[in-house]
Amino acid sequence: MSAAVIAIEKLRAEVKSANGLAPLRVLSASGQLGYGVPEAAFNEGLRRQPHFIGCDMGSIDPGPYYLGSGNIATSEAQTRGDLTTVLRGARSINVPLIIGTAGCAGASPHLDTVLAMVREVARAERLHFKLASIRADMPRDAVKRAIRAGKVKPLGAIADLTEADVDASTQLVGQMGIEAFQRALDAGADVVIAGRACDTAVYAAIPGMLGYPLGPAMHMAKIVECASLCTTPGGRDALLGTLDGESFIVDSMNPIRNASPMSVAAHSLYEQGDPYRVYEPEGTLHVDTARYEQLDAHRCRITGARWEPAKQFTVKIEGAAKVGERALMLAGCADPRAIAAMKEILPAVEKTVRELTSKTVKEAFQVYHRVYGIDGVFNWAQPPEPLPREVFVMVEIIAQTAEAAKSVATVFKQFLLHHGFPGRISTGGNLAFPFTPPEVVTGPAYRFSAYHVMEVDDLPALFPVSIEQL
Amino acid sequence: MKLIDMARVIRSKNAGPTTLTLDLLFNDEAGYQHALNSPALQPAAIAPLYDLRADQVTLIAYPPAIAIKIAMDRKIVAGNPGDRDVYGAQQHGPLLEIEI
Repeated sequence: MSAAVIAIEKLRAEVKSANGLAPLRVLSASGQLGYGVPEAAFNEGLRRQPHFIGCDMGSIDPGPYYLGSGNIATSEAQTRGDLTTVLRGARSINVPLIIGTAGCAGASPHLDTVLAMVREVARAERLHFKLASIRADMPRDAVKRAIRAGKVKPLGAIADLTEADVDASTQLVGQMGIEAFQRALDAGADVVIAGRACDTAVYAAIPGMLGYPLGPAMHMAKIVECASLCTTPGGRDALLGTLDGESFIVDSMNPIRNASPMSVAAHSLYEQGDPYRVYEPEGTLHVDTARYEQLDAHRCRITGARWEPAKQFTVKIEGAAKVGERALMLAGCADPRAIAAMKEILPAVEKTVRELTSKTVKEAFQVYHRVYGIDGVFNWAQPPEPLPREVFVMVEIIAQTAEAAKSVATVFKQFLLHHGFPGRISTGGNLAFPFTPPEVVTGPAYRFSAYHVMEVDDLPALFPVSIEQL
Repeated sequence: MKLIDMARVIRSKNAGPTTLTLDLLFNDEAGYQHALNSPALQPAAIAPLYDLRADQVTLIAYPPAIAIKIAMDRKIVAGNPGDRDVYGAQQHGPLLEIEI
């Protein structure tokens, strides 16, 4: 093995051409590895001989629970299946495989879960390769020093980060950029499994190393990272990006998903606060100058994005802290008078429940009521007219222990069931339970303790790379 | 004219856990221009629908997709206790009835 040329050197040789750089083919296998990789499109992608394969595995969208708990968001069997598909595919054509934000949130517990699966799959499939893993856990002391030096700022509507928040975080990660992936590839990796990473870094690291301009490379990365979401109809099928110097082509590996200037341009809006700029640790991508043109009925060509290198490196940091244990009380109601009075009934019952449990539940607990049909999803200023025939009531308790949370939910159930209110006619009970017990313990509850940006001078120190031979 | 009759997509989604964004993808250029100039879509008009101040709401025109993005602060960080919509994917309701 030692005599073999490392993967990135092999790519360097392959893309070298007489007049500069040959087109670089990048296969995006999945925007969310672990929810199933559509095989027909992925196999078509392999037939196009991509120079490397990328997958994104994570997102902050599912909330603080996954980061805080260390649990992965996807099912274990499906995740193992998807890893098998992409590892087998990448090794069958001997190209690098890059996976970002292992296990949804990309802290060490998530990364370790995914690495264990990768080793298992490699053994079962008799695959041999050099595996790089990149950790993204932020050193607590370094973050606290940065707080004291005024180098940590909130990202949007969140309070300033405190040293207490850092201590309270069960997990605290930073989003790595292309630099970390490039170190892993320089170290000889065939497969890179990264902790928390920028989605774009998965796809822009290799083009950057090979000398392709970063403007179009980053723009391509931003679009391909969601696989075929940028096409019409959008979907999860593999997508091929072909980077040709100053432009790139987007080509869904499912023939029914067509990329048009409109569909690709519209993708820049998705989940972005600002459709014109993407902030990365090493710089900013500007797409206000991008142009989108139809190449044929199925493909689109994009040019014109610019990359502005950062004067100061920054890292987005994400933390989650436990707030308690959660229990729910779930019930329906179809009595028109109870529905009309529900906004008064719930606080009244809460008051009673707080009094009744004060001797048995000593620590503070939080109560949230949701009346689906009236204001479960959106905090409407006014109830609907007419009121709905039925509503669904969810009472959420967050207490210090699961036992306390369940105890409060149980008492709440009984007093909500039998609460008397003016004009009550349905004196048998105010609630319909589809099953009993209607109290459910759901486990620990978390909050985002950090969503901030930190100025950083030494990026490599934050994202250590380990190599192992499988 | 109602916004829902002019736009083929009216969606909401988080852009990170502290920001909610609303994307309006219009059916045609005329509708887009009309909406862009309408006082009903300015931050001062949108903010009260979401119980926010006007300075917490930003409107961005995006001609390549004849679209308008409205970005706003989330009142509760996504998934924190008290939240109602972790992904922010169902916060578009108040826009549907807007008269442009």
